[in-house]
Amino acid sequence: MVLIFFYLLVIVLGMLSMGFQMLASRLLSPHYGSTIVEWVWLISTFLAAFSAGSVIGGWISNLTATPRARWQLAIAVIGVASLALTAFKQKAMLDAIELHFIPDVRDMNDQGGAAMNTAVFLSCMALFFVPVTALSSFGPQCVGWLAARGTAPGKASGVVYGVSTVGNIAGVMLTVFKLIPNFRVSHLMYGWLGVAAISLTALILLLRMPSPRPPSP
Amino acid sequence: MKTRLLPALLALLGSPVFAAPAAPAAAAPAPVLKPAPKGDYIESFDTLYNNLTIQREGTRVELRARSRRGEFYESIVDVADPLDLILEYSRTVYAAAFFQPEPKRALIIGLGGAGVHRLFAKAYPDAVLQTVELDQKIYELCQTHLEFHPTDKTPVAIADGRAYVKRDTAKYDWLLLDAFRGGYVPAHLKTEEFLRECAARLTDQGVFINNLHEGTELFYADIKTMQKVFAQVVLLNPANSGNVMAFGVNYKTPVITDPSKWPDAAVVGKRFEGRVNLAAIKGELMPIPREVAAAKVITDDFNPAELLNVIKTNNESKGR
Repeated sequence: MVLIFFYLLVIVLGMLSMGFQMLASRLLSPHYGSTIVEWVWLISTFLAAFSAGSVIGGWISNLTATPRARWQLAIAVIGVASLALTAFKQKAMLDAIELHFIPDVRDMNDQGGAAMNTAVFLSCMALFFVPVTALSSFGPQCVGWLAARGTAPGKASGVVYGVSTVGNIAGVMLTVFKLIPNFRVSHLMYGWLGVAAISLTALILLLRMPSPRPPSP
Repeated sequence: MKTRLLPALLALLGSPVFAAPAAPAAAAPAPVLKPAPKGDYIESFDTLYNNLTIQREGTRVELRARSRRGEFYESIVDVADPLDLILEYSRTVYAAAFFQPEPKRALIIGLGGAGVHRLFAKAYPDAVLQTVELDQKIYELCQTHLEFHPTDKTPVAIADGRAYVKRDTAKYDWLLLDAFRGGYVPAHLKTEEFLRECAARLTDQGVFINNLHEGTELFYADIKTMQKVFAQVVLLNPANSGNVMAFGVNYKTPVITDPSKWPDAAVVGKRFEGRVNLAAIKGELMPIPREVAAAKVITDDFNPAELLNVIKTNNESKGR
């Protein structure tokens, strides 16, 4: 039962991450259009966040119990707070960045130009990098938790990332085919925030559960 | 390693890719354009935004874009008679002259094969026709294959239409939204917020022209969205095209929804030298469909545009 709940949480976190990328494209396009430049920075930002999250999560999972619990809480709070910032202040932030870097119509003559690249890059970093990094950091900790319960580390890693990727796929499909056609993006962002807060709380409680037996050497 | 990472990141942020805005960048040198082959040809180009086919048979050159249900005409040009408007919808665009017969400045979002441009430049030689086109390759093909030779009266900017309009400060007498990728218009060009940005760029008597596809849920949502933004909306349905041209203005009077009150087609159409039959175009008037009442307004916040069936089956390879 605990394992089913655990995998469910892994799937939800995977859904939140990649579904968020679809919402992110909707947030950016009114400001920067729907160009390949926008997608380059958007995809790169998410991949960079996955990378950073994995490194941070790996480091946290190797800490002793007390500092590990503190860092888990800190990262979860940072993730939810940054997601709240994106949900409530995205338009104001995007307006400020866009108009600062691309104030003039003459800057629009080069889609791959410096001003456009800078504006889209900074927008992606400001809105998406921190929450996705925070969500991603729980992947290695889930691997550590599973390994501590007796699953071989390689297998634990494979299963967690496999299940998480299923969540990624489900998140993309659900967001594009069901959520965006039926709900406002702003409302979906509030939904993301709520689900992230609940699922991260549940995951932190789960990760603090004592292992039934000591980890394999 | 730690000591090298920070300088490397700072160097990247200081690189030309991440420059802070200063004076607008100098225009990039014009690319060397490869001329069209001699005689008949068929060529394909995969660009950042489109899969294009350009084909010449005799004097007729077709520019087509591939989409999920086949190929859609971007433009058809008779290079022996470039003023001939072969695609029906491009003639109906000129119904804008009923509402603003003396445009001094016009904006077209979407270059296509520059089908509308040639006649506009000929009919209104003192007017400026600004174009915004996202795909640099389309601009190149227009120049090399489709006999479009931009001048200071017909400048072309390579940019996203929405981003351009948002920053533009000019006012336009005609503003045509004709930005297709294959068979569909990008979703961010469908929203109430974007149409409001376009409406803000119109002169007092200016007219907004929107190239729509009929017979889909998106069609009704498009009209509903236009009605939310513009004081009056008129639909014209060119025969055999699958297109509906929607005209919007910011004023409530004079009324433009009654064609009997439109100016005399013969007088307004004099400038077009017989290329556009404005009297016949008056007969293309289409009532606002009943379904529009139940349609939803598309906004930046609620935008299911791509998910609706925007491609009309009988529009395939019949022009748009």
